[in-house]
Amino acid sequence: MNIEGIISVSYIIATILFILALGGLSNQETARRGNWYGIIGMAIALVATVLGVVTHNYIPLFVALLVGGSIGLIAARRVQMTQMPELVAILHSLVGLAAVAVGFANFMDPDRLSHYVGVELTIHDIETYLGILIGAVTFSGSVIAFGKLSGRMSGSPLTLPGRHYLNLALLISAIWFAYEFVVQSAGGGGMQPLIIMTVIALLFGIHMVMAIGGADMPVVVSMLNSYSGWAASATGFMLGNDLLIVTGALVGSSGAILSYIMCRAMNRKFLSVIAGGFGTGGGTAAASSGEDQGEVVPIEAEETAE
Amino acid sequence: MRIGVPREIYTGEKRVATTPDVASQLIKLGFDVAVETNAGAAANYSDASYESAGCSVVSIDEVWNDSDIILKVRGPEDDEADRLKAGQTLISFLWPAQNPELLQKLTERGVTAMAMDSVPRISRAQKVDALSSMANIAGYRAVVEAAQHFGRFFTGQITAAGKVMPAKVLVIGAGVAGLAAIGAAKSMGAIVRSFDTRPEVKEQIESMDAEFLMLDFEDEDGSGEGGYAKVMSDEFIAAEMALFAEQAKDVDIVITTALIPGRPAPKLWTAEMVESMKDGSVIVDLAAEQGGNCELTEPEKVVRHHGVTLIGYTDMPSRLAAQSSQLYATNLRHLLTDLTPEKDGQIVVDMEDEVFRGATVCKDGETTWPPPAPKLSAAPPKAKPAPAPAPVVEKKRSVAGPIIGMVIAGLALLGLGAVAPASFMAHFTVFVLACFVGYMVIWNVTAALHTPLMSVTNAISSIIIIGALIQISSENEVIKWVAVATVLLTSINIAGGFAVTRRMLEMFRK
Repeated sequence: MNIEGIISVSYIIATILFILALGGLSNQETARRGNWYGIIGMAIALVATVLGVVTHNYIPLFVALLVGGSIGLIAARRVQMTQMPELVAILHSLVGLAAVAVGFANFMDPDRLSHYVGVELTIHDIETYLGILIGAVTFSGSVIAFGKLSGRMSGSPLTLPGRHYLNLALLISAIWFAYEFVVQSAGGGGMQPLIIMTVIALLFGIHMVMAIGGADMPVVVSMLNSYSGWAASATGFMLGNDLLIVTGALVGSSGAILSYIMCRAMNRKFLSVIAGGFGTGGGTAAASSGEDQGEVVPIEAEETAE
Repeated sequence: MRIGVPREIYTGEKRVATTPDVASQLIKLGFDVAVETNAGAAANYSDASYESAGCSVVSIDEVWNDSDIILKVRGPEDDEADRLKAGQTLISFLWPAQNPELLQKLTERGVTAMAMDSVPRISRAQKVDALSSMANIAGYRAVVEAAQHFGRFFTGQITAAGKVMPAKVLVIGAGVAGLAAIGAAKSMGAIVRSFDTRPEVKEQIESMDAEFLMLDFEDEDGSGEGGYAKVMSDEFIAAEMALFAEQAKDVDIVITTALIPGRPAPKLWTAEMVESMKDGSVIVDLAAEQGGNCELTEPEKVVRHHGVTLIGYTDMPSRLAAQSSQLYATNLRHLLTDLTPEKDGQIVVDMEDEVFRGATVCKDGETTWPPPAPKLSAAPPKAKPAPAPAPVVEKKRSVAGPIIGMVIAGLALLGLGAVAPASFMAHFTVFVLACFVGYMVIWNVTAALHTPLMSVTNAISSIIIIGALIQISSENEVIKWVAVATVLLTSINIAGGFAVTRRMLEMFRK
């Protein structure tokens, strides 16, 4: 029996179900069916992987699945309707953390160097690096978003002087460490730049979300959602797993579009929300955000009451 | 206290100041309501319906003599004013600026008079804003009148008997009436354009799916105090007239609603423009009462000039009497609700309250009109120089930017293709296609589903668990336990994400 083939087919089915899930969720009538598609897709992907790929350590695996699943279910059941956005935010942080963990675990795998050589190794390292970077930003950003949404933190934007330059500096240093990492990893090392980058990425995530006001948090959560998708996608590249790539890209692009749509629905400019703290593209968006901010007219409490 | 609703005696006035529905709500506030015989007949509200709502139907003398509060639509005529006596409260349209003698007479008779037209334009008073209610109806009716006199369809059609072009409607002045006209004309299928001197209404016009005619004028903002328009500079008017002259040759129907508070209506549509219009075109001049926006308008009449029909009716709301009575009566009820804080049928005219202060034109023998200037206008007053309106920039957005971006992206992809191994490119293809699928699938999402969608994509993104599953069978203890931890984390997200989504969607269940 061709195990590989069966796994591939299961992954294709799972992918299709995920697409149907997203499509279903964009319309009231099909929304609940869409959710079920998602659940079934996830189940198929899990079962196929557990049966086809996993060979040892079933016990800790099932314990982790059960414990995690029950925590998730209980949390989802207990939470108040008004706390939904913050729950979603904290759940995002888990995906980010998972991406970081998978990335590190993959990097620690000693087989890595024998598997890949030359350009392939470079590409593989960049994928690992990106997966961890995005994962770390997602993680710390989501935690801050959770703090802001749940009122554990002040909702007002923190605007450090020269924050765009700070972000730019963080970005450039992240690129520099990427270079360092790739060079060192070819020689067998590379753990040090990877860890430094992770810390930078964590700081970046914190700073990015801190600079955005509480009212824009839903958009930020959606943006982070998109990041968690990109992180999954990068991980998929790293592992050469198409299911991860496709699902990650689906989540990533739909999250990005969704945040754009949400901005439009709230009559806010996408850039002025996101570039309130940073720009997705780095330098250019950061530079243009200065102008965008002039559009926000603060309203006094008195005026609002009138 | 007893509320009296007399029949309107102004010629052609069909509205009535309360409807049976509203009257029953007034009774709940503790008032007695007396309605004059046949007061609502012209608006299709019979005496019987008032009686079944709990009102008493009485003669004209009883209404005026025995009521503490008189609700009217139009201001009192001379002999009506003579019936008023000290201690009574009159609530109606009064237009104190235009009717100083009436104001003086009311003051002398010692009544408390509240003018519905003088309610300040603030958010809190929107529910009392009868001018907006009436303007809304006038705008709607203007389109109906235009359709009546226009010998063609509004909508376009392709039929076996040939093609029908849609009518082109130009609405000048996008206030409440203008927007109502845009909505009505649009829903009949016409192509609607609109012009206004206030740039901030652009968004409102476009949200009604009409086209905003833009003037390339940077520095001038036509918004005056209270959200109304103001007088513009000569150059602006010249440019505006040039625009209208050009539009005149093209449009079939013109609806003008331009008014500047306290001034005669600006003349925006000249005789030459009327002459340059196509035969069979229609102009509805909603500003006819203030002299008209069109030079040839004759108030209260329909005239034909050069093949163009000019409608100058000044009683549009009265032409939809049942509708306007209902809205006006509701405005009055909101005012009375605010005036009756204890809900005991006793009104308290608190002169400290901005709304009551603004509406009250005379009280206890003293003229209290005009009120002190309102503290806040509808739009925040421009303390600092307002940012120049964006329109000019918006039109000239260059196409070079996106093209350059695309070229760079294309080159980057080519570069990637040149060095990357085949296996990577296969994954990459899948990746790019998946991005587009995500984009296509999400683009038309309903607003109410944003949060559930976010939460379901979150749940799906925990597909990263596959990565951990691939690693969990590793010989390396560290990797194994990291993978186990990751499985734990992601499974929280899987279960939590789908369960939360389910809960949210349950709320939508009918």
